[in-house]
Amino acid sequence: MSFSQVLSLVPEALWESIYMTVATTFFAYVIGLPLGLVLVVTDKDGVHPMRGVNMTLGAVVNFLRSIPFLMLFLFVQPVTRFIVGTSAGAVAAIVPLVISAFPFVARMVEQSAKEVDRGVIEASQSMGASNWQIITKVLLPEAKPSLLNGAAVSATTILGYSAMAGCFGGGGLGAVAMNYGYQRYDFLVMFVMIVVMVFLVQVFQESGTRGGRLTDKRIR
Amino acid sequence: MAMIELQHLTKTFGSGETAVHALNDVSLGIEAGEVFGIIGLSGAGKSTLVRCINLLEKPTSGRVIVDGKEMTALSGKALREARRSIGMIFQGFDLLMQRDALGNVRFPLELAGVRRADADKRARELLKLVGLEGREGAYPAQLSGGMKQRVAIARALASNPKVLLCDEATSALDPTTTESILELLRDLNRSLGVTVVVITHEMRVVERICSRVAIIADSRIAELGEVQEVFLHPKTEAAKKLVLPSRSGKLEGFTEDAAATAVDECRGELIRLAFDGSSTDRPIIADMILSCGAPVSIIYADTRTIEGRLYGHTVLQLPSDAETADKMKRWLASQGISYTKEVQ
Repeated sequence: MSFSQVLSLVPEALWESIYMTVATTFFAYVIGLPLGLVLVVTDKDGVHPMRGVNMTLGAVVNFLRSIPFLMLFLFVQPVTRFIVGTSAGAVAAIVPLVISAFPFVARMVEQSAKEVDRGVIEASQSMGASNWQIITKVLLPEAKPSLLNGAAVSATTILGYSAMAGCFGGGGLGAVAMNYGYQRYDFLVMFVMIVVMVFLVQVFQESGTRGGRLTDKRIR
Repeated sequence: MAMIELQHLTKTFGSGETAVHALNDVSLGIEAGEVFGIIGLSGAGKSTLVRCINLLEKPTSGRVIVDGKEMTALSGKALREARRSIGMIFQGFDLLMQRDALGNVRFPLELAGVRRADADKRARELLKLVGLEGREGAYPAQLSGGMKQRVAIARALASNPKVLLCDEATSALDPTTTESILELLRDLNRSLGVTVVVITHEMRVVERICSRVAIIADSRIAELGEVQEVFLHPKTEAAKKLVLPSRSGKLEGFTEDAAATAVDECRGELIRLAFDGSSTDRPIIADMILSCGAPVSIIYADTRTIEGRLYGHTVLQLPSDAETADKMKRWLASQGISYTKEVQ
C-alpha cells in the first residue's frame, strides 16, 4: 500500500479510537467516580465507616482489575451482544472497555480523594457539614487537580485497551493496525498507526496534566 | 449557668490491654464571655478534651453541655446544627486550598444554606474584621501563616458562634505573628462577647490572653483557677513542671573547646545555681563579681521572675584560680544560694 493510501485510512480509524476512548472514559467515570467516593467515605478512616460495604466493593474492584483485558473482552461478548446487538465494531468494544476501566477509575478516584487533608474534612465537620456536603463541597473540589490528572492517566490507559479491542474485532487504530499491518505484513501501516496513537496519548495526557495544573490554586 | 459544662468526661481509645485513657473523669465549667486556657504537655489529653466539646470526638462517658444544650445527647442533623454555634480554629489552619479567602469564609454559610449574596456580604465584613480587607481573592497558598489563621478565624466566626475553640492555633506561627493573632482573639472576645477556649502547650499564650486556666496532665485536670494564681503558686508537680523553668536544662552547644577559648581567668569549673523563688531578683551574679573582684562567664541561663521572685537555673564558669573560685562559692553559700557542680 502506498503511503497516501495508508494516510487515507487514518481519519476514520482516529475518529473511532477517540470515540471509543472518550465514550469509555465517560461511562467508566459515571460508574467509577461514585464508586471511588463510596470507597473513601466508607473506609475505616472515612467520614462514614462501613466495614462490610467497603470490603465488598473493594473485593469486586480487585476481582475485575485482576482479569486481563483480552480475556474479559472475550468473556463478556454475550453481554455485549445483549446490550449493543453485536459484538463487533467500535461501539460494541465500549462495553468490555467500560467493564474493565471503571474499577481502575474507582481506584484512581479513591487515591485522589484520599489526598484531601484530613484536617480540612474535620474542620468542615466542626462547621456542621453533612457527609454529602463533605463529598460535594470538600472532597471533589479539593481533589479536582488530582482528579483531572487521574482522568488523563485513565484515558490514556483506556486508549491502549481500545487498541487491543481493535485487534480483536473492535474498531479504530488498533483494527487498522491488525487488519492491514499485521494480516498483510504491511509494517508501514502498523508504523503509521503507532505514530498516530503516540500522538493521541500525548494529547490526552497533556490536556489532563495542564487542566490539573491550571485549576490548582495551591501553585502560585 | 456556664457556657460550657463538662461533666465527668471520659475518653478511652481502643479497649482491653492496649486501651489509652485520653481523658479520665474531667469536669470543668467555662463561663460565658471568658477566655479560658487549657494547657498541658503533648499527649496530656488537651486536644481530645477540646474535640469533645463539639463532639468531633465522642466521649466514652460523661456529658458535654454547651449553651444549655446537651451535645452528648445529639446526633445527626441536630448535632450539625449545634456545631454551627461553636467555631473552631486549628494549628494547621485547615483552609480549603482550592477556594480563595472569601470562598473559605463563605463556606460555613453555604453549609447552612445562606443565600449567596448574603453570604458574600457577611464574608466580606468578617475579612475586614480580621484585618484582611482587600485580600478576598487571595488563595491560601498566597497567604502567610498569620493571614491564613486570620481567614480561619473569620471562617469560624461566620455563623455567629457563641464559643470559639482554638486548638493550638498559634503553635505553627512565629512569636510576632502569635502576638498579633492573640491580640485579635482578645479583641474579638471583647467586641463580640464570644467565649474563647484556648488549647496550648505554651505558657506565654495563656499568660497573654486567658483569665482562667486549667492544667491538664495525665488525662486529668491537675489544677484550675485564675491564671495569676495558678502560675504564681503552682501546687501540683504537673503544674510546677509547666510553670517553672526546667531543672535539667542542657548546655546546648557548649563544648570543652568553647571553654578553652574563654578568657584565661574564666577557665575554671562549672557550677549550676538553682533559684527556687526564695531569693529575690537582686543582681546576685553582679554582686558576687563585685564582692569577689573577679569575672565569671554565664554559660547558660533559664530563669523567670514571677512577682519579684526568681525561678530557674544559671550555669556559671568560675575563674581558673582556685582561691577566687573558692571565695565565690563561700560568698554564694553565705547568701543562701544553693549550687551544684555541673558535670558535663
